[in-house]
Amino acid sequence: MLSQREILSTLEMLKNENLDVRTVTLGINLLDCASQNLEKLTRKIRTRITHYAANLVSACNHIGQKYGIPVVNKRIAVSPIAAVGAAMSSTQMVAVARVLDEAAEAVDVDFIGGFSALVEKGMARGDMALLEAIPQALTETQRVCASVNVASTKAGINMDAVLRMGQAIKQAAQLTADCDGIACAKLCVFANIPQDIPFMAGAYLGIGEADAVINVGVSGPGVVKNALERALDTNDQLDLGQLSEIIKKTAYKVTRVGELIGREVADYLNIRFGVVDLSLAPTPNVGDSVGEIFQSLGLLSIGVPGTTAALALINDAVKKGGAFASSRVGGLSGAFIPVSEDLNISEAARKGYIGLDKLEAITAVCSVGLDMIALPGDTTAETIAAIMADEMAIGVINNKTTATRLIPVPGKKAGDSAFFGGLLGQSTIISVNNGHNPNPFVRRGGLIPAPLQSLTN
Amino acid sequence: MDKAIIAILGHDRPGIVAAVSKILFARDCNIENVSQTTLQFIFAGIFIISMPADLSEESLRQTLTAALAPLGLDVHITLFEAMTTPVSPPQSESYIVTTKGPDRKGLVAGISEVIARFEGNITNLQAVFKGGDDPGDNIMIYEVDVPPQTDQQALYQELKKRAQELALDIDIQHRNIFEAIHRI
Repeated sequence: MLSQREILSTLEMLKNENLDVRTVTLGINLLDCASQNLEKLTRKIRTRITHYAANLVSACNHIGQKYGIPVVNKRIAVSPIAAVGAAMSSTQMVAVARVLDEAAEAVDVDFIGGFSALVEKGMARGDMALLEAIPQALTETQRVCASVNVASTKAGINMDAVLRMGQAIKQAAQLTADCDGIACAKLCVFANIPQDIPFMAGAYLGIGEADAVINVGVSGPGVVKNALERALDTNDQLDLGQLSEIIKKTAYKVTRVGELIGREVADYLNIRFGVVDLSLAPTPNVGDSVGEIFQSLGLLSIGVPGTTAALALINDAVKKGGAFASSRVGGLSGAFIPVSEDLNISEAARKGYIGLDKLEAITAVCSVGLDMIALPGDTTAETIAAIMADEMAIGVINNKTTATRLIPVPGKKAGDSAFFGGLLGQSTIISVNNGHNPNPFVRRGGLIPAPLQSLTN
Repeated sequence: MDKAIIAILGHDRPGIVAAVSKILFARDCNIENVSQTTLQFIFAGIFIISMPADLSEESLRQTLTAALAPLGLDVHITLFEAMTTPVSPPQSESYIVTTKGPDRKGLVAGISEVIARFEGNITNLQAVFKGGDDPGDNIMIYEVDVPPQTDQQALYQELKKRAQELALDIDIQHRNIFEAIHRI
């Protein structure tokens, strides 16, 4: 027999604290669709996606209703298109992106990830074509997301790729200037990209994965915040160790929900279950913010001194609780700090509590990186590449995933507002130190060597 | 060996279970199951016992009544035949139906009628009505076994429709979600 407390506390999490399954992402392997003929390639891709994903949305809705848990987003991640379409030109790559977009629309998913390349050590022909195609592909499509892994702890940082991505971001922003450069919101640049991320824009299906797999992204910053505030209402003398314990227990509950839903959807579709990504992913809604957790812990705002320590505490507790709850944890798994997507962080940027330097600093202890940051439109490609290189270095040296999703908003300057809409939110444009001067460092190109794995101080 | 169900009802006070079990032990009865609860200030306890062959129902009733009536407790005994083969429960899915809303007459009757119409078996019901319009003060929680042949969509829709008629906020969820979240 369930207790009244167990039932009512679950309902409270669902109805008032924004507990949900943020995404169920179906990974689909497209590697055997490869062809030198564009028509054959796109036909196979379309058939493969519509076959595997035909019932994804209805399955998620059915299981969501059964448990009373909304599955907010249903998404698809495919094999890196740079490998699948290695024989394609950049123009043909754009055509492949259009087919991905159409297939996603046909099965009613909101995003499809995997317009991706893994170039941490070097760029093959297909990789070059894909990188060149990214700005146009993201402009012409609504649902396609792109990601490029330019660095890893084993390989170092491919600075040629970093500079190319800086140029691609500028170009993508210009092509979507009438929407504040929104194409850039669908483009992530990574170090140490995991193969099983369910969250966009970084989702793709890794080379080592099966034909099809269900990965789940859970969220729940509102649940964590409310759990902390309830505990502090009862005893405001709780120390940080005790508050960490509360976050850990809450992360356990949130992760269990994700695992239950993920396994059931996977069974329903007769597809193997992959991982739960136990990230705290905010939305631009009140009560669904990672930034608010910092205030619950006693900070004036995210960004003030103490932020990095608080984030380290949060991230570690989330991982510990999640790892205990599920034996299949993967993806990014940590707290996201997407500036425009989190009302509280966006507000902290507007008030000047947090800037680019502090955002970069805190990525040393969280997942994932400089996420959804609006920059002045005159920030040069070189400067964007340099910001990315800094972020990649944090990931490479600390043996963790880091990424950037930067949006140089055309025609706007620091302090202006950028509007992306929906889950992408809005943000004050953050100033960049020396943002439009030449940066010969990144123009040198080459490979920053892989770091030593000993002498770790 | 015969079995009996003994129901004890009355004002709650310390020592009720001790008093009943002491008598049962003295009369060589074996307690097989006990369930007890307290609703507001009323104790309700149900004991399933096996009885020795030489003990009659009437004799046990007299003994229990003599001891418990002074404590303000009512005693009810019903005999039944011990089952020789266990009966497996029918296959079903277990759902939790929770309602909140202003107190009024007919809430339990209204919701349980829909559940019965769809052949759902209520295995546990916790209902607290403190009165008034605060939804949090008036809660019903049904644990319901739903047979596989039941049209679950139709059951969902009918329950939601009935809840709307009764001005109740209703949630219907598979039991596993609560176990997943709260139990290791």
